[in-house]
Parts: sequence; structure tokens; C-alpha cells
Amino acid sequence: MSLRAAVLRHIRLPVQTLPAIGSRPQSQLSFLRLFSSHDDHLTKEEVIDRVLDVVKSFPKVEPSQVTPDVHFQKDLGLDSLDNVEIVMALEEEFKLEIPDKEADKIDSCNLAIEYIYNHPMAG
Amino acid sequence: MAFTLRSVKVPPNSASLEEARGRVFDFFRQACRSIPTIMDIYNLDDVVTKSQLRSTIASEIRKNTHVTNPKVIDMLLFKGMEELNNIVEHAKQRHHIIGQYVLGRQGLAQDLDTKDEGVSDFLKNFYKSNYF
Repeated sequence: MSLRAAVLRHIRLPVQTLPAIGSRPQSQLSFLRLFSSHDDHLTKEEVIDRVLDVVKSFPKVEPSQVTPDVHFQKDLGLDSLDNVEIVMALEEEFKLEIPDKEADKIDSCNLAIEYIYNHPMAG
Repeated sequence: MAFTLRSVKVPPNSASLEEARGRVFDFFRQACRSIPTIMDIYNLDDVVTKSQLRSTIASEIRKNTHVTNPKVIDMLLFKGMEELNNIVEHAKQRHHIIGQYVLGRQGLAQDLDTKDEGVSDFLKNFYKSNYF
């Protein structure tokens, strides 16, 4: 009986000291939110960088002329088929599938960056 | 079956050049979206990149930009779809793909060297006609 009480006393001790130590890990983890997907979107700089990289690595394009608001057909001198090809390259880079109606509207770097930034599935 | 779905999709006639051009872009997008499958089937990862294949497909399409008759465009699209179907359903082999779509741009080196490079202008004119 006394042994049991002694053992129980020993077991109870760690529970009492927990609140003193336990509060710190919780406050550190409170802004980690491991299962939240709200912080998952790409930042605008990242989108701009990756879009410009895709456009610059297009073989018919001069890398020095590429700016974030360049127009594919007017400024870079590409034709409509090249436009579609650039949109397909962007689809591959960001793992998206852009429907045809939207893809036809994407005519310049601006529109591409906007569309990708606003797309929830951009990866 | 993925490949039979593709070939059935081509409808009879395009009404205008605009509609035909829309169909060309649809075909191009479809071909580009099946590039990952193609690279996987034929193990092309160390031979060519996806963007090179895209450029190749675009230049093949561009070879026919001078065509203005929508019916001719429809016919060319039908042939293109057929070719795409054949490739995706593994009816072709790796050396076909490499020879037709990877190497085709600069040509096989031997052909370019020996064909017309060293021949003189006189001989070229001579081969063309009697009067020069």
C-alpha cells in the first residue's frame, strides 16, 4: 500500500511540472499551422521571375528585351503560334491547365503574370 | 481508349479561315499536352527536352502557313491528328521519333556535307538546264 502510494507520488510529479515547460513549445508552434494551405500561394515576385525565365528561354526571343510588361506579338515580334507555344510553356512550368478561352486572351507578360498569380492551383 | 477518342473528334468542315485557325491552335495544344506521355513512352528524356519538341511541332505547323483554303487546312489537321494518334498509341518506334522530330532540324550531318556544298556554280546550273 505504501509502496503503491510512493510509486503514485512519483508518477504524479511530472504532471505538475508540465505547465511550466509546456507553455513555450505551444507559443512557438502557434504560427506554424502545419496543415493550413492559406500560406501556400506563390508570391508575386516568384511568379514574375519564373514567367520571365520561361519567356527568356524561348528560342526565338531576345532575353535582353524581356520585361514584365512586354507584349508577345507587338514587342517581341512573335506570331500567334508562338503565343500559343509560350502559353503552353507556362502551363508546363506552373503545372496548370489553362482553358482555351483564357489562353487566347493571354497576349503579354502582364496578363500571364496576373492570370497565374490569381490561379489557385499554381505550383 | 484515349487514341480512338482523338481521331473521332475532327468534324467535317471548317466554315472559315478563322475557325480553321482555331482548330490548328487546338491541335497544337493537344499535341503539346501529350508531349510528357510521348517522352515517357519512347524514353526521350536524355535525347531531347520538352521545349525542343514544342518548337519542332510549331515549325512543322508553320511549314503550311501559306495555305488559305479551309478545307485543305482541315485535311492537313486530319493528317496531323493521325500522326499524333500513331505516336501516342506506340505504333511508331523510338528511331522513327528521333529521326523525324529530333534530328530533322539540322539534318543528318553526312547528307548536308556531301550533297551540294562543294559543287561549283557551273555544275549546279548545268544540272538545272541546258541554257545558262
